[in-house]
Amino acid sequence: MNFALLVVPLIAGMLLGYFLREKRKTNLGKVTFGIILVLIFSLGFGIGSNSELLKSLPEVGLSAVVIASLAIVFSVVLVKVVRRTAGLV
Amino acid sequence: MIKFIIAALLLGGVAGYLNANWASAVSSIWVSDYLLNASLMLLLFVMGVTFAMDKDSISKIRRTGLKILVVPLAIALGTILSGVVSALILGMNVIATTAVSAGYGWYTLTGPLVGQIFGAKWGALGFAANFLRELLTILTVSLMVKVDKYAPIASGGATAMDTTLPIIVRYCGSDALITAFSSGLILSLIAPFTIVAIASLG
Repeated sequence: MNFALLVVPLIAGMLLGYFLREKRKTNLGKVTFGIILVLIFSLGFGIGSNSELLKSLPEVGLSAVVIASLAIVFSVVLVKVVRRTAGLV
Repeated sequence: MIKFIIAALLLGGVAGYLNANWASAVSSIWVSDYLLNASLMLLLFVMGVTFAMDKDSISKIRRTGLKILVVPLAIALGTILSGVVSALILGMNVIATTAVSAGYGWYTLTGPLVGQIFGAKWGALGFAANFLRELLTILTVSLMVKVDKYAPIASGGATAMDTTLPIIVRYCGSDALITAFSSGLILSLIAPFTIVAIASLG
């Protein structure tokens, strides 16, 4: 994934948002959620059509679950601890 | 809300599977690459608008400043530690297992890279473990946000800049956008380096 592909729309959106600031508030929540569903659908589509990934899952599945779960737990704990000590909002 | 997300994921998975194995109605790259990127770019645009319209979020970022680096570095450290612990629990090679963890959820990078260094079996594990990190983040975001406001960002790792970003912002609020994006970006940037550095220890 090309980083520019992500950064350019984000900055463009921010510029537009900045100029729209004084205008009346628009609620983009529903639009965002609709696009999220499209995104998640295409993510699932990529997984479903990746036969190599599906084949490897039963073989490495259990170790993968352990590695992924511990990575999540340790990251969450460290961020929580560091945020407390660094006083981040 | 999470019901719709799981439904969309399952529906996509089934559609992708059927399309790849029986129908071949569309080339899967149209959905899993072009549609994914298009929706991602559109989302980032919309989230950028929402973020900049909110005056509070910008002043919050200003107050945070360089402390924004603290979050991704804590995630990187936690993840590398978790790799060592996982290896000890599973009785597997510590270097290779830690390298698998150090993808921070970026499975399209970790799978091929770890596979190249340690062999195909590790490549498959690198792919699966990091893919599960993304999937578990999506599935547990509503619980995670109750633990800590930034827990979904920590959980998402490198994916917090793209695939899990919209869900993180949805649950953590618009002001989490920059923290999530920059954390994911930094982790994505350091992932290939940490993987290679850990591998060179072996």
